[in-house]
Amino acid sequence: MIRGSCLCQAVRFEIVGKLSAASHCHCSMCRKAHGAAFGTYAAAKAEDFRVVSGEDLIMRYRSSPGIVRTFCARCGSTLQWLRESKPEIVDIALGVLDDDPGVRPAAHIYVGSKAPWYEITGGLPRHEAGAVTQQGN
Amino acid sequence: MLSGSCLCGGVRYEIAGRLTGALNCHCSMCRKAHGAAFRSRARVRAADFRWVRGEELLAWYESSPGTHRGFCRVCGSKLLSRFDRGPSAYGLPLGALDGDPGVKPALHVFVAHKAPWFQISDRLPQHAELPR
Repeated sequence: MIRGSCLCQAVRFEIVGKLSAASHCHCSMCRKAHGAAFGTYAAAKAEDFRVVSGEDLIMRYRSSPGIVRTFCARCGSTLQWLRESKPEIVDIALGVLDDDPGVRPAAHIYVGSKAPWYEITGGLPRHEAGAVTQQGN
Repeated sequence: MLSGSCLCGGVRYEIAGRLTGALNCHCSMCRKAHGAAFRSRARVRAADFRWVRGEELLAWYESSPGTHRGFCRVCGSKLLSRFDRGPSAYGLPLGALDGDPGVKPALHVFVAHKAPWFQISDRLPQHAELPR
């Protein structure tokens, strides 16, 4: 069981399965949405994901056609990245997890759009645009 | 002139002066607020900061007594923190900036609280808590 919650603790969720395909996304939309250097997401099966409390506070913003980003209406915590054409997958913003997700980010994606004030270091693969990353564990 | 805006474009701000004290904060509140590995922020003088549009779209959450984190209520972008005990300066999350601020985070703070899934790989100084 992997638990997550927003800053104000109104929204709580659980993931009963494993997370996979974690990556750091440097696209300008993730940077703006998070107000951070990059967003980090991992994928859960929708059937494994359950909102425990605060579902009515989860705000949805359609940031591009078919893509919905969610956040807590009360505290603003970024929660999920959802592709409307793939409802069986929920991408979770790792920053709101209370437990260790098990997976580790395996790549930096959209590095061509990275912030000028942030330097990517370390040995993870870097992709100019999106890349399907397969996490082995 | 430095400017920033939220993801939906509803809120826009301008900064006439310099940013100072840029750092990466790994505390659990910053990680949760941003839903990210860490928060990169700088200090901006309140006198230098101006909302250009959309100030009415801001929602403020008091994450600890006297600290108010502002975000766009439409798209959720984290935009500004203000402090009751230090109203002459704001905390500016760097992620919503549109241009190059000319400064880069120079240290990591609250590293004792960092996410287990994020490894700091740069050579910037690391502080377990907030240095005095």
